[in-house]
Amino acid sequence: MFELKPMLSALWRNKISALLIALQLALTLAIVSNATVIVQDRLEKIARPTGIAVSDIISVTFMPVPVNYDMASAVAADLELLRNMPGVMDATVTNQIPLSGSGSASTYFTEPNQEIGGENANYYQTDEHFIDTLGLNLVAGRNFTRADFDVIGPNDTYEPRVAIITQKFADVMFPGEDAVGKFFYSGGDGKPREIIGVVERHLGAWPSWSKAGQVAFYPLLVTGNHKRYLIRTEPGQRDVVYKQIEEKLAERDPQRVIHLDTLSKKMAQSYVSDNVMVKVLSAVMTLLTFIVALGIIGLTIFWINQRSKQIGVRRALGATRANISRYFLVENTLIAGTGLVIGMAAAQVINHFMVNQFSQPALSMATLLICAAILLSVSVTAALAPAIRAANISPAMATRSV
Amino acid sequence: MLKMHNIRKSYRTDTIETHALRDFSLQVNEGEFVSVTGPSGSGKTTFLNIAGLLETPTGGQYLLDGEDVSSLNDRDRSRLRNEKIGFIFQGFNLIPDLNLFDNIDVPLRYRGFNAKERKKRIEKVLEQVGLSARAKHLPAQLSGGQQQRVAIARALAGEPRFLLADEPTGNLDSLMARQVMELLEFINEWGTTIVMVTHDPDLARRAHRNIQIVDGQVSDLQHGTVGAAREIA
Ligand SMILES: Nc1ncnc2c1ncn2[C@@H]1O[C@H](COP(=O)(O)OP(=O)(O)O)[C@@H](O)[C@H]1O
Ligand SMILES: [Mg+2]
Repeated sequence: MFELKPMLSALWRNKISALLIALQLALTLAIVSNATVIVQDRLEKIARPTGIAVSDIISVTFMPVPVNYDMASAVAADLELLRNMPGVMDATVTNQIPLSGSGSASTYFTEPNQEIGGENANYYQTDEHFIDTLGLNLVAGRNFTRADFDVIGPNDTYEPRVAIITQKFADVMFPGEDAVGKFFYSGGDGKPREIIGVVERHLGAWPSWSKAGQVAFYPLLVTGNHKRYLIRTEPGQRDVVYKQIEEKLAERDPQRVIHLDTLSKKMAQSYVSDNVMVKVLSAVMTLLTFIVALGIIGLTIFWINQRSKQIGVRRALGATRANISRYFLVENTLIAGTGLVIGMAAAQVINHFMVNQFSQPALSMATLLICAAILLSVSVTAALAPAIRAANISPAMATRSV
Repeated sequence: MLKMHNIRKSYRTDTIETHALRDFSLQVNEGEFVSVTGPSGSGKTTFLNIAGLLETPTGGQYLLDGEDVSSLNDRDRSRLRNEKIGFIFQGFNLIPDLNLFDNIDVPLRYRGFNAKERKKRIEKVLEQVGLSARAKHLPAQLSGGQQQRVAIARALAGEPRFLLADEPTGNLDSLMARQVMELLEFINEWGTTIVMVTHDPDLARRAHRNIQIVDGQVSDLQHGTVGAAREIA
């Protein structure tokens, strides 16, 4: 009933325009499916769990102006003030702001005085409030205590004693073992740091880093030029507390420059290039799909106009409206199907190249089939209105036009 | 076979309303060969289109085979066209992308016949019009007369009771026209009722009866003893 054989021979006689549309669809599928892989990859990256209560956290950076500024007392007083503010759950001091794109890293070893091998980790100097402030999950061992906390000057050498590390860092340093109670070493100093606790997750300073999530924390304050605080607010209180913090800190000590940010904003800045990539590729995909849909609408309308007499004749010979619409929809599906099969092959060739040359992720069969199915439905949808219009061509067309 | 009573058909455009048929009454009996003549624009094609269910009348009653077809829906009209009516057009109206075999196949597919039945019928009608050897040819590879014979074969393949022809020889030279006319007469002898619009008085005379349409109405009756239209009126 689908008149496939005569339809194919009629198509064969119009093969150039049919082929052009098929190839346009093929190209669209090849590009769209490969772009989808990249978009998926970036979206997954952006959506990765950070381990941190990002949306409730405010960061403060301050620069003291006076020369002999008593940093240790200032930090203690600030934190005291911050922790007692209404709407604040906890506050901590830190050398760098997580997820912000700036931070410090070092190479660590399981044996002292090593130079080659080792594992990279991002590290933070913080205090015993960091777990609660960041909303981290302590999965083994214990948190820091006040007794663990050291204060040193910018030119002092650090005598590290204890550290808390992330599960990911623990897994690369001591695979398959319990890290708590183990010691690890920095390349330079050869001094042992005892791992006293493990937190489930903390993505660190650079979300795009291949070692993102390998992090160590030390209970340490280095009195230097500028310091940072992280403040965790009650859920939903962030924006209210934000304004008050600025006022309170300025009030307590006007002789310094304070800069506030939300952690959400800091994190978004780290993902700017990923977000731009996602937006650009999505726009390209939408545009290509739109263009291919326009092409299909145009070609279908053109063919229907070209064959309006023939449609009238078919109606006169007994075709129902449904027969006519179906003819054009099936014809469209044949062309689209051909194009999409070619496109699936092309998509895989292109992806092979992308994987090898630009180490992009591989295109899965599922993604390819979903993209093909979407384009097929776009194609059928585009042909639908002209096909329905074709069915309205009067059978009198057979006798009325010359 | 065909009975029209007070059929009206008007076309409305933005500016004017054309009354293509007015109080048009006519009866065509089973087995008749009726020719229709009349000046250009008088309503001949309109009559044929209504008779062949290609258009619906604005008013009046139309009985085809005793069935009132004025109120049928589009689907049923399509089915009736397919089963009972064969069309032959002035411009042949073969589908240019399909070979002769596939052209004749078109109405048979809408009929829902299986492949074997269709093949049998197509081969039979191609033989009747003397074009069996050309089954795989495209319409463009044939002369006008041959194309019209294929169109007749296509109209006959469904074994219609009723054949409607709108100036079937209008695009043919006189020799080819005569061949087509002979074919139609032959078909009529085998029992198919034919209504043929023509400009050619010689061909018109060869029919059992000639109807003249002037200004949307039956104006004159020849050959027929008692005018069917007058009977109804
Ligand atoms: N679709 C239409 N719209 C408007 N006017 C039409 C239409 N079809 C036919 N007519 C008019 O109806 C009249 C009868 O036309 P037609 O039946 O084709 O005449 P004939 O076949 O005798 O030449 C003419 O005046 C013609 O212009
Ligand atoms: Mg006419």
